[in-house]
Amino acid sequence: MNENPSQQSTTAPRETDADGETTVDSAHAPALRVAGASFAYGAAPALADINFEVAAGTAVAMIGPNGSGKSTLLKGILGLIARTAGTVEVLGASPAPAGTVGYVPQTDELDPQFPITLEQVVMMGRYRALGWLRLPGRRDRASVAEALEVVGLSHRAKTRFGELSGGQQQRGLLARAIASNPRLLLLDEPFNGLDQQNRDALIETVKRLKHDGVAVLVSTHDIELARAVCDCVLLLNGEQVAFGPLEQVLTLDNVQRAFHNVGIEMDEHTVVVPGHGGH
Amino acid sequence: MDVFSPLFDAFALPFMSRALVVLVVLSLVAGLVGVLVNLRGLEFISDGLTHAVFPGIAIGFVWGGRDGLFLGAMIAALLAAVVLTLIVRRAVTTDAAIAIVFTAMFSVGVIVVSRETNYVGQLEQLLFGRLLTVSPTEVVQTIVICGVALLLVGLTLKEQVFRAFDRTYSAAAGFRPLVLDMLLNVAIALVVVAASNAVGNLLVLAVLIVPGAFARLVTQRVWWLFPLAAGFAGLCAWFGLALGYEASVNNGIDLPSGATVVLVLVAGYAVAFLVRLAVDRVRGGTVAGTAVARRAGPAPLRGRRATRAAAQVPRNSANSGVRH
Repeated sequence: MNENPSQQSTTAPRETDADGETTVDSAHAPALRVAGASFAYGAAPALADINFEVAAGTAVAMIGPNGSGKSTLLKGILGLIARTAGTVEVLGASPAPAGTVGYVPQTDELDPQFPITLEQVVMMGRYRALGWLRLPGRRDRASVAEALEVVGLSHRAKTRFGELSGGQQQRGLLARAIASNPRLLLLDEPFNGLDQQNRDALIETVKRLKHDGVAVLVSTHDIELARAVCDCVLLLNGEQVAFGPLEQVLTLDNVQRAFHNVGIEMDEHTVVVPGHGGH
Repeated sequence: MDVFSPLFDAFALPFMSRALVVLVVLSLVAGLVGVLVNLRGLEFISDGLTHAVFPGIAIGFVWGGRDGLFLGAMIAALLAAVVLTLIVRRAVTTDAAIAIVFTAMFSVGVIVVSRETNYVGQLEQLLFGRLLTVSPTEVVQTIVICGVALLLVGLTLKEQVFRAFDRTYSAAAGFRPLVLDMLLNVAIALVVVAASNAVGNLLVLAVLIVPGAFARLVTQRVWWLFPLAAGFAGLCAWFGLALGYEASVNNGIDLPSGATVVLVLVAGYAVAFLVRLAVDRVRGGTVAGTAVARRAGPAPLRGRRATRAAAQVPRNSANSGVRH
């Protein structure tokens, strides 16, 4: 992993070529650094003392049961909820440099009746770069077409978003994030409810993004998927249980600590720790 | 063209042409703003605003007569829009707060008006509008107010639609929710002010909500919603005015113009609704039905007991207290 202990600059280099594509400079601060960070919903503390990093071109899986704080942490990194302690740096800067963070929310937070096409949803990924008042131009439309190509949904561009299958919606939201040319991509439970074909398509896209130097943080409770695309794992259960390289963190002991009252599929066994909660 | 002459003849009269200008300008803008009200589901908040503007109208009218009316309404509307935006941002259960604050304000308005001697006639004017007695100055005032509302939402239209579709990502992309909500609520308040004078405080909501609802029935294309709603509202205003005039002057049926326009709007919506039902039936299954059914299906989680846990814990339980 490309650590940069010298911290010589506060903003990492972000080079843009003639086509508006970002190119990757491998020698810079980690794409995301979270150190001693605590988050709160209003007065209610939500997560405390979170420490981890995501380097460019790598993926970190955030694993934990429902309600373990995965979405909270993503929203904290996005600056949507208050940080009460510690630091969150994107490319060595806090707050994140404009347009560097892409986010893929859970599809069930969206209104399936909303009258909008897939293409228009993906175009929203360009709005950050456009800013207030400006309307999308030819270059933005090209970015949208390319992002749809990457996720394999070009043929569905004109379809209303709500008419797409759950997996296609998820890929569409990923295309929206890709269209914003992010250096750090946050995915909230992207694999929930996907069929095999959509899972494979999504995994391929994430691998491709990593190859292009994008840092990926993905929340999931699917350990198999973490193994398929991720380099490091952050285990959460209302607090940070462990963080480190996948094979070191995903020990039976750690997983049992994270999932101490729900089961989890691991190595073709369903691991359940008895005696907690109402079981 | 004898059949169509009622649609044009009446507007040769100055007071009718003034009414037409006021109502068409108002409808176009209300249509645009109304689409956002529809997409955001802000109907109840809009209702709250119409109630909140009433005491402003009443106090302005009592103190300054007709000239004070606009000023009073404007102050009340802007105040209400700001208070409302902050309530929605802070409170956990917003509906009760809105209902309490704004019905209280409406009562204040009624009490203020009732202190006046010619109470019944004035209250009626304020509640039901006085479209046919609009002065040339008021025409200009309406155009200016509607123009400002148009600018506020027109210039931020892509951001407003973005926020309506995905408020989390819109906020994450740096479009501040408070700014967008304030702009939209002020625009709604301005439309309410302009419309209160024309069709009356009680009928404002129809002008604001029916065109947007109509457009949602007619198209699934988001950018078409705005011209369709505005065009529909403008046409209904024109037909409604002509119909009211024709019935009153040539047929001896005294139809109040504001209410006639609202009924034409609702009739147009009803026709669109029936057509939509018929179309959906022919296509075999509504678009809405399939989408909802698919979403209700189980999400196949990997761990068997994780499925049970997921059923017990709402997906976004950790976020339920957040407002963006």
